[in-house]
Amino acid sequence: MPIIRRMPVPSIFSVPPGLPHAARQARRHALLRLGWAWLAMMQVMMFAWPGYVRHDGIPPDALATLDWAIVLMNWASLALTVPVVLYSAWPIWRGAADSLRRRQAGMDVPVALGIVAAFVPSVYATWIQRGEVYFDSVTMFVAFLLTARYLALCARQSVAVRDGAPARRHARLEIRRRALGAMADRVAGRFVAAQVALALAAGAAWAWFEPAHAVSVMVALLVISCPCAMAMAVPTALAAAHAAAARSGLDAPAFRQLLAAARRTARQSLYGSLAWHLLMTPLALAGWVAPWLAAVTMLLSSLAVGAHAWRLYRRYRAPLPALAAARQATAAP
Amino acid sequence: MTILYLLLPLSLLFVLAIALALGWAVFSGQFDDTEEAGSSILRDSDT
Repeated sequence: MPIIRRMPVPSIFSVPPGLPHAARQARRHALLRLGWAWLAMMQVMMFAWPGYVRHDGIPPDALATLDWAIVLMNWASLALTVPVVLYSAWPIWRGAADSLRRRQAGMDVPVALGIVAAFVPSVYATWIQRGEVYFDSVTMFVAFLLTARYLALCARQSVAVRDGAPARRHARLEIRRRALGAMADRVAGRFVAAQVALALAAGAAWAWFEPAHAVSVMVALLVISCPCAMAMAVPTALAAAHAAAARSGLDAPAFRQLLAAARRTARQSLYGSLAWHLLMTPLALAGWVAPWLAAVTMLLSSLAVGAHAWRLYRRYRAPLPALAAARQATAAP
Repeated sequence: MTILYLLLPLSLLFVLAIALALGWAVFSGQFDDTEEAGSSILRDSDT
């Protein structure tokens, strides 16, 4: 009996065959870092729940019990956050140290600052058993950031192992990627420098007027200043273009269309996520965006960038006759 | 509420066990090929 074979769609958690050993190990570490961060995030959110429901209207004896439980939960959250900060966030520390050594405002610098600004006061609050803790925001931030980076790594590695398509076209896409990447780095660099300065200034201003909210506002601004969606814009759009160029036997005009579409997608993603971040900034300045909410909005913009690149791939992966027919239809008088 | 002294360490132990299991699975190659195990029964030629 014949077996109908469908085109296998590999899971994003599986490692593509044919990767060299070093890339395979990098992928495995990235997966484990991601898994640990998500695991710790869920547990820490559970431990943070008593802190969310606490308010001063609770009867005093119940409040005393609740506060005692919150202290215990904070210690448990601390125990879970330490491996996330040390192991899962390791690429962030390394990237931040690299860009500081080269005296550039890379995107890892605000991320590292955001983690430190949320983690250190939380450890202090846990130790003196008083005040707000942000372990939930730290783990959520790291987990969402690693999710975005894992998707970008998958896109890059799936391009690296693909073969059988004309090398010349991939070279042209590669040239386009470098030009767009340099442009995106310039935009993101300026944005990051301005945003970090704003976060520090806002933290100082809130510390002057209302110290209770200063850390929360500063952490939210630093989380928003992470341009992960902007950093994903060019790699995902060009990875989609590489994949489309490898799959369907595109002719020369269709390939030119693909190049133009990839450029358009990358720019739309870049400026779209920039606008989104700028829109969130005044809300965070006013203290309306809690750090965890800032992390969620950041994940949303990253996922939107990924989906935009996926649309590009879907549009150009169509078999040749469909594309040719579409072009004739538009070219006809 | 002293039960928390037992339950919190217990939940941390569970998390530790899950984290170690995930680490073992990733580095022993459990995620390397997600198709292989499922399709192996179709390629089995033993009758």
